[in-house]
Order: sequence, then structure tokens, then C-alpha cells
Amino acid sequence: MIIGKIVKSDSHITYVCQINGAYEAQEKPGPTDYAFGRFVRIALRAPENDGILFAATSEREDAITYAVGVIYDTILQNPAFGTLGPRLSNEAQVEMFSPDYISEKAILTYVMILGMIEQRNMRSGTREYISATHGIPLLSLELDSQVETMDDEDVCAFHFFNDPTTPVGLSQPYSADAYLHIGYVPHIISQRNSLLPMVTLRIIDQLERLFPQNLALLSIVKRNFAWRLKVETAG
Amino acid sequence: MLDASHQSVLRLPRKPVGITKGPGETIHEYTFVSRDDEQQLKNGEYVYYELPDPTQSAQNGQGRRVLGRILKRVPLQLYPDTFLGEPEIAPSQVAAMMGYNSHTNELFELHVAIMGYYDYTTGSFINPWIPPQAGKQIFLADDAMLASVLSRKQDKQPGSATIGSLLTRSPDAVPVVLSVKDVVSTHLAIIASTGAGKSYLASVVIEELMQPQNKACVLIVDPHGEYGTLDQIMNGPLFSEPAEGRRAGYRAQVKIYKQDQVKVRISSLNMGDMRHLLTEMTEKQQYLLSQAMRHVKNLKKGTPWGVADLKRSINAVAKQKDDEDSGGDDSSTVRALEWRVGQRFEDSMTFDDTQHLDLPEIFKPGQCTILQLNDVDERDQQVIVATLLRRLNTARMDTERGKVHSGEMYLPYPVFVLLEEAHHFAPSGTDVVSTSILKQVLAEGRKFGIGVGLITQRPGKLDADVLSQCQTQCIMRIVNEIDQKSVASAIEGVGRDLLNNLPALSKGQVIVAGAGVNTPIICRVRTRHTPHGGESKDAPDMWRTYFNAEQQESKKRSEAPLNGNKPFTLLR
Repeated sequence: MIIGKIVKSDSHITYVCQINGAYEAQEKPGPTDYAFGRFVRIALRAPENDGILFAATSEREDAITYAVGVIYDTILQNPAFGTLGPRLSNEAQVEMFSPDYISEKAILTYVMILGMIEQRNMRSGTREYISATHGIPLLSLELDSQVETMDDEDVCAFHFFNDPTTPVGLSQPYSADAYLHIGYVPHIISQRNSLLPMVTLRIIDQLERLFPQNLALLSIVKRNFAWRLKVETAG
Repeated sequence: MLDASHQSVLRLPRKPVGITKGPGETIHEYTFVSRDDEQQLKNGEYVYYELPDPTQSAQNGQGRRVLGRILKRVPLQLYPDTFLGEPEIAPSQVAAMMGYNSHTNELFELHVAIMGYYDYTTGSFINPWIPPQAGKQIFLADDAMLASVLSRKQDKQPGSATIGSLLTRSPDAVPVVLSVKDVVSTHLAIIASTGAGKSYLASVVIEELMQPQNKACVLIVDPHGEYGTLDQIMNGPLFSEPAEGRRAGYRAQVKIYKQDQVKVRISSLNMGDMRHLLTEMTEKQQYLLSQAMRHVKNLKKGTPWGVADLKRSINAVAKQKDDEDSGGDDSSTVRALEWRVGQRFEDSMTFDDTQHLDLPEIFKPGQCTILQLNDVDERDQQVIVATLLRRLNTARMDTERGKVHSGEMYLPYPVFVLLEEAHHFAPSGTDVVSTSILKQVLAEGRKFGIGVGLITQRPGKLDADVLSQCQTQCIMRIVNEIDQKSVASAIEGVGRDLLNNLPALSKGQVIVAGAGVNTPIICRVRTRHTPHGGESKDAPDMWRTYFNAEQQESKKRSEAPLNGNKPFTLLR
């Protein structure tokens, strides 16, 4: 489901998404669609002839590469805030006579990019996941790109994959089989934002639900974060 | 031979194991960093770096290899403690989940004590007096190199005693070879707590000494009768060699003297021995006895004398004294002394009027003589050892100085005496009758060719001077702290760091240091060629056999009352 569009960026990996308001899209997203810790994806519009950066991921024409991000902050934008003076018309009248003014009220969510996923959406409705990578994407997003929510299947595909084979001479990968990845955690931690550690806990909660077989593994990370955030900061 | 081993080293592809980081904590240490994927850089392992050799041409490419021993291994990169929170989850799995998907993660800083480069002409290690530059490649010393530089002799060379192999390498890869010449001339000490394998190691040394490359002349003083199994040496093909050309054939001999065969001739005792054997003599008795001994010696002029002669001399001396000053009555002293001498020496198993151990018979090259002193009183043991060492020392001194040319005191070859339970013969704190002669032999033995091997389980109880005279030390597991300290004070400085490993050594592992080897080595003792006799008793097994069916019958027989429980008289 499309929840909004990119309107601004603070850095290569942090973007601001304006949530679609009433009349802006067919379906108005509900508050749970842009909740704290929600995984979203934004399609990367790669130039057709740029074969270097996407050679490995977009061999097929119908494959789409998405940047995957997580919502970690929300701001309710209200230009009318602070103008306390008397108004000639009430809310209902303003809505009727100057609808663009109303749309200046907006919900902005901050999205941090965690990695990329390449997938092919079949006509039958099934999806084929081609690759997933965690870390900083090479390309930046474009303004007005659509931000979509990810369902459980997408989230699972983004987290459970096998390492690409490494060229000869480099150290061998940990395992040839697919396993749970949260390779973006180190770069979340390195950002200076008080909400990001909390979003990590939120992510782990979601992953615990999606990957019950990896509870012990996730509990290590979760306990570590919980201790640092909850016990050490309080003590 | 050394050149051949060098060439074989050159042919092998060498792969550095690490890179020098910088100087270590002391001036003769350096540190290097290694990933050590193959887990081969163990504590005590030998590594080297190369220095250009100014004496060789530049084209040669072969530099000096500065050998060092790894002292400590400090991990530089460890998983965070929190990764270790789930026992079922490997920390590498957590790291992989976080995106670190490489197998290798360990990095170690290794502290190395510089031993120096080996100089083949002087046969010793020469310290370069400078730590390696940062960034120098470190190589693991290969087996051939270690075999040629750690030991003074090579395996099976004349004068070599291969007691085992280097502990950090696979068995038999790097033989640890003692130089028999140095061991015999500067003495040996085998120190270990009970059950660590002292007598096993001593037997291995004896086996080596009896092999054709040494053909040694060995005497073992065995207070526990543990060395009896060495008589198998006589049957072993390893201990013989066929005659070849002008060389005569060789077969090692082993002679075991049981306690009733070990005799001390009374005339070989001196006043110190008497004082030791007849404890708590009064001043008067001592005076009288010393006069009597002088008297009997003058009377017999070098020929043996017995108890009866001594008693007669006591009476004669007392009578003479009575005549000189008619003041006091010494008859009670005389009677008491006579009685004590008679009681101590008449019917004694050890002391005899005429018989004693014949030196040329017990000391022969190619012969190992074992004196089994079990059941002999400790004081008697001390006197046996003291008189034997005294006679041996005199014989060797007189032979070397050309005073004798034949007969009982002529011993024209060096000998090696192994003293088991050495702390009985030179205890610390007190002087016993054997202490002074043992000290004398240890100090002067080098000149006259008497080598001594001391075996003890309580180095703390052994006289410190005696221990420090033993220039080759074989130290096995010691748990007692006092004993550890006394060993540390006796061992040479280089190997002191090795002593930290003492409690960690297992049975059959030994630290060899001193004159017999080029550098202190941790060694795995080889398997004996002859069966071992010093094992602990398997009590439960012996109890079980007692109740075996076939044993029951014989037990009944042996426990059955003879003759209706009446006393059984043999003399009828």
C-alpha cells in the first residue's frame, strides 16, 4: 500500500516522507500504516543504461529494485499552529473556500534506509525475490518517489537470504545457506538519534514474530539493547 | 648433517605466521600479531625471524634465524560478552546476523622471548641484543631446524641420550637429546612430585646410557626397589651391538644387588659414620671410640678389621688410659660402648667384617648396577651411600693421579651414580653422614669423572647447595609451592618463565634445562623399552583378586590351622 511520497532528505539515508492526506490518493493510509518501526520500501528508478551499479541486481527488465527503510520518527505539520488571532471563517468554511490551506497540515515521517531488495512481481500476484542487501544503498532516492508499506512476506524476504558468493581470495562467507540477517543494526546504532535504538527493539519484536525459530539468536541482540537502553540509562 | 637439514628447510615453502608488532615488556621480548587460523602458535612454541647475516654474501639470501619462544598469547579481537549469552548460539552466528559474515575473527598478540640465532661453531644461541623491527615476518620454526638447534647432540649420535620429543610438536617430530658428556660431568637432577614419572624418566635416561652409543658405567641407588625391571635391558636388541671388524661386540649388563648383598665393611667406616650409627654417645664414649678406631687402624695397617678387633681395641685403649691416669673408673663406659658396638654391628645385615661391594665389580662400562635398599634402615642407607661415595671418590682420585694402577681401588673410567630419593642423603637443614661427601663429589666430580644424578620428589627438603650443583635439571609436575620456589632458585635464569607451566604439566611431560641441552625445552618423555616397575598399586584390583574363586581355595589352604593350631616345632 502506498502511504506517501518522499519530500525531503536529511542525508543519504534519512528521508522525509509526507503521508498522503485526504483526496491525495485513492486510499488514505491509516495510522498503523505509518507506525513507528514500520518497514517501507521505495522503488529506485534506475536509468536504463546504467549497467555498472545495477549489473548484479537488475538483469531482468521487469525486476524492481527497492530501497528498504524503516519509519523512525513522525512529525505532525501544522502551519496554523501559533496563529492564535481571531479568524473570519471557521474550519469548515476554510475547508470549503481554500482547500490548499488545509493540505498544508501534513504528517511527515522520517525514514531511514536500511538496504535494498530486488524483486519481480508476477502478474499472478506472486512475488519472486531476487536479492537482498543490507547497508547503505549506492543511489539516493528521488523526490516524489512513492513510499509503500511492506507486508510480512516482503519483510521476511528482506531478512532471510543467503550471502552472495565471495570472489576467490577474500575470506569465505559464514554460511552458504540462507540465514537471518540484520546487517543494518550497526549502522542504525552509529546514527545520533535517540529514537533509533528504540526502533531497533521494535524491529526485533517484529522479527521475533516472523522468525520464531530464531528466537534465541534474536534474544541476544534484544537483551543487549534492552539492557543498554532501559537499565544502563536508568541507572 | 646440519647442512643437509638446512637444505631440506630451504626446499619447503615457507609461509609467515605473523608480523612483528614491536618490543615486548622486557628488553629480550618482542610481540607479534597473528590470526593463527591453524591454532599452531601454542605457548612454548618456537618461532623465528630473519636477520641479514653480515658474514655471508648478499646473494645467498639465507639470513640468521633469530629463534624465540612464545611466552604469552593475548587475544586482540574477542566477541562481546553479550554475544555469548545463549549457550546454543555460536557468537559467530550472531556476528553473521549483524553482517560480519567472515569465518576468521580471531587475532592474537603473541609475546616472544628472544633466544637468539644459533651459532653452529660455538654450539650456542647468540642474542642479537635488539628486538626485531616492526613489520618483520615471523615464521614457525620447522621440525628439522628445531631438532638441529635445541639439543646439543643429534639422535643416536655417540654421547646422546634421546629422552623424548618436543611437547608442542607431534610425537617424535623433534627429538629432545641430552648430551651425555655434559650431564655426566655437571650432574643431573630429576625433580617431580610423586606420580609424575620420575623413576620412569630416570629409567629412560638409564636405557639411553646403556645403549651402544654410550655404553655407560652406571650405579643406581634404589631405596624402593623400583628399578628391578631394568634387567630386561640385557635381553633387548637395542642394547647390544654385534662385533664388527676390530670393534668388539657389546651387550649391556645389569646387575641387581638385593639388600642382603649390599655390604659395608666395618673397617671402611669413619668416626662420623660411627657417630651417625651409634646415636647419643656420651662424650666419653665418643672419645674412647675414636681412640679405639685409631688404635685398630694402626694395628691392622690397611687390612680389614672387624667388630672383635674393634672391641679388643676399645679394651686396650681403655686399659692404657687407666694405666696413664689412675683417677677415674671408665669400666662402665667401656662396657656400655662394647655392648653398643656389638649390638649394632654383630649380626647386622649390612655391616660385615670382611665383605663389601667391590668397586671394579659394581662399576664397569656397559654395566648398570642396581643397589636395592628396600628394607634397609634409613640411617644404614645413608652410611651405605656415604661409604660407597667416599671409596669411589678416593678410587677415582687415586686412579686419575696415578697413585694406583691395579686392584680394588683402580677405576680407570668415569662413572655415573643415580641417587633415588636424594633428599634422604642430603636433607636441607641438617647434616647427615652422606651430605658432606655428596657435596664434595658434586663439586669435584667433574675433575675426577664422577657424575651424579639426583632424583627427588621434595626439592624443598633437599640441600640447596646440592641442588644448585646439578647443572642439568629435569623438572616434572610440582604442585607444592615451597618445592616450586626451591626449583626456581636452583634453575638457570633463562627458563624461569617455563616454570610457570609446572603445575600444568601432565604425567610424562618434563621441562629439561641446563647444561645437557642448548635451551630449556618442554619435553614429552618417550616410551620405555623395558617394562616400568614403579607403578602405584591398584588397590581395588588387588582386593578383587583376593576374592576370586581360584584364590579362595589357596587362601583356605594358607589360612588353615596347621597341626590343630598347636605351635609347630621344626626342631625335634
